[in-house]
Amino acid sequence: MRMLAAVGPVIPNYAAQSSSCEVDNRLFCWRWVQHNWGPVLWPALRQHILLALVAVAIGFVIAMALALAAHRYGALERPTTIVTTIMYTIPGIALFELLAAPVGLNVFSAEIALVSYTLLILFRNILAGLRSVPAEVLDAAEGTGMSRTQTLLRVELPLALPAIVAGLRIAVVTIIALATIVYIIYDRGLGVPIHTALGEGPFKTELIAAGGLAIALALLADGLLVLTQRMLTPWARARAG
Amino acid sequence: MHEFVQAFRFIARNGAVAGGPALPSLSHLALETLKVGAIGVTISVLIAVPLGVWLGHVHRGSFVAINLGNVGRALPSLAVLAIGDAFLGLGLTVVELALVILAVPPIVTNAYLGVDGVDPDLVDAAKGMGMGGWQILARVELPLAVPLVFAGIRTAAVFVISTTTIASLAGFSGSLGDVIANETSYHFSGVLGAAICVAALALAVEGGLTLLQRALTPRGLLLVGHEPVLGGAAADPITGND
Amino acid sequence: MPVSRWSRSRSRIASVLSAVALLALSVGVAACGSSSNSSSTSSTPATTASTATSASSGPGVGKPAVTIGDKNFAEENILGQLYAQALQAKGFTVTLKENVGSSEIIYKALVSGQIDMYPEYTGTLLSAIAEQTKEPASAAAAYAQAKAFVQKHGFTLLNYTPFYDSDALATLPSYASAHHLVSIVDLKALGKSLTLGAPPEFATRFEGLLGLKQLYGVVPTFKPIAIELSYKALEGGQVGVQNVFSTDGQLLGGKFKVLADPKHVFGFQNVAPVVKQSVLAAEGPAFAATLNQVSALLTIKAIQQMNAAVSIDKQSASSVAHQFLVANGLG
Repeated sequence: MRMLAAVGPVIPNYAAQSSSCEVDNRLFCWRWVQHNWGPVLWPALRQHILLALVAVAIGFVIAMALALAAHRYGALERPTTIVTTIMYTIPGIALFELLAAPVGLNVFSAEIALVSYTLLILFRNILAGLRSVPAEVLDAAEGTGMSRTQTLLRVELPLALPAIVAGLRIAVVTIIALATIVYIIYDRGLGVPIHTALGEGPFKTELIAAGGLAIALALLADGLLVLTQRMLTPWARARAG
Repeated sequence: MHEFVQAFRFIARNGAVAGGPALPSLSHLALETLKVGAIGVTISVLIAVPLGVWLGHVHRGSFVAINLGNVGRALPSLAVLAIGDAFLGLGLTVVELALVILAVPPIVTNAYLGVDGVDPDLVDAAKGMGMGGWQILARVELPLAVPLVFAGIRTAAVFVISTTTIASLAGFSGSLGDVIANETSYHFSGVLGAAICVAALALAVEGGLTLLQRALTPRGLLLVGHEPVLGGAAADPITGND
Repeated sequence: MPVSRWSRSRSRIASVLSAVALLALSVGVAACGSSSNSSSTSSTPATTASTATSASSGPGVGKPAVTIGDKNFAEENILGQLYAQALQAKGFTVTLKENVGSSEIIYKALVSGQIDMYPEYTGTLLSAIAEQTKEPASAAAAYAQAKAFVQKHGFTLLNYTPFYDSDALATLPSYASAHHLVSIVDLKALGKSLTLGAPPEFATRFEGLLGLKQLYGVVPTFKPIAIELSYKALEGGQVGVQNVFSTDGQLLGGKFKVLADPKHVFGFQNVAPVVKQSVLAAEGPAFAATLNQVSALLTIKAIQQMNAAVSIDKQSASSVAHQFLVANGLG
């Protein structure tokens, strides 16, 4: 144990606990991942999932409302598209900072930005899906005496489902990738360990672990949504085949 | 809103900070961002458009072409740059490599879908008129695919600007992101000013490409209503199937 | 028949949506639940070896909860953990907000009440926050002036640490002997043939190129190098002299030589906790006493070892802090 003169503090022997894998910054130190899964990687992953889930959920609700409104009152489409496009075109790194000024360095800035990115994708897809319902089908529904609401719920939305789920796929994957930048204004998500690792070397293991988790999460979510899509719309595949 | 006033003052000063000429000006950084981005987009277009167009023309490789877009979207820019940094260091070459990796997928997917999705009746009619494969591609499929091809290029261009800026977070120097990454020197007003510039730059590029698209869209399509509007950045085609 | 297909899909939709909703709900609950547990000590990683909750007895029990913040680099993370864990061991209820941001941002957070306390460097407090241009003459003077400044705004400084983390110039021993370098004074003779590496902000600071020119007459060729690449640049020979920090873990072991700074161009940068005066009063005398005990232990060697453990060995700040406190009877 390294000890200073009697008046100094006792310094633990940190070096005894290190291994050459980390010190030499080898490609991937499994031991580090095991040690730091609980304290660093898993919390970051959990926060990341939560950030993305909340953003897509809120974005979906708003986009659905906007799309239904635009479907009813066509004049709403243009302005909604323009506003959501502007929000979507602004790069994430900029939008986070722009929101942090009035809203603060907190979850709200992060989520407002993330939700903005889902809005354009989901709005366009839901609206296009609703519009893709053939006129004959709507006539048939009217012919059987369905009200507007019933037509919407029983005919239009189910037929729009492929487009809606396609939009959800794009939105979810985009948001998971974007959430890696959230850390610049809000200390959560997989961007935090990536940022830490960049400042230390860069520390390869942590970069690969955190970056890899983000990519895996996005692909997994995409895969789950593909399965959901197939389950919900078996007839779409039949039609395509 | 006080910070926004400070931010606009910062922009008006062209990014000068009390104390020194040693820091690059905003206009220089903006130009650098455009330069780096332009190289990335050009290389990506040269690789991706021919590839996507050809795949669409022969109606092959739909699984790869479409899912390449998905995989590309799933790659977080910061992670790609960070991994590049870890192994190769973050010079211009590595940044451009990352930009190409991220920009190629949306262009390929959209180019493929644009050409593949051309009404088969039109292609048959062209064959009936005696056109060979190359002619059909050049005179029928490509012009009709312009909206989607451009949608892909616009998506990629905005994404490239975003990623170039993010590269500065990873340690690259030579973009507006330098200011955002260096809050200690530029203070929050500077960071905000740079963010405003990044937003403006992205919107300008999107607008510019929209105008270019309009110029290149065949008159027939314009008449039928395929007028390019802002929004191409998310004009990923709606695929009911994958 | 069309209608029956849709009603089938409707029930299918309902079941899938409810499954997804349940999944989302459970992830949300799990996330919220665990994050509110770990936020009692840190906002990102939960502590590995140390207690995640406060001790059940001690002078801090029953006192109002305190929020400590730290800036977004390793040494501040270590300091935040040290202070937070030492207080928790005495029964105080502490929330540690890590990586709040740079000096400007964290001071704003202090002023706005988001945090009650954070560890600050005396020199940074004077230059970045008090915006004082006159250089203090000694470490004690820097502390006194910083303390006077914050006291005007309802805060105060507790005792300062023996260690100082100021900028420094390091070089390879071979380079130093080849050019007879012992202190920064010796750099003047090299003129432009000297390549000095440092982060971009170095070029415009007094604790940087401006001061080097003014106090030492040193005018080198400047090469912007990102902080994390400092030691690589030195080892690779890209620079002759590199801007480093006096408490870097890499400086242990004699691989690099730090040049003396007799004219104190890099100022004085001891650490002292900035605390709201009202919080200090509410927490009782044991609060300040504990923090002062911790600060007193932080010599340069100690902080260098801890920095090395975190930056080079990739150990977590919380476990490094915990081991230090336990070894010195404060954990």
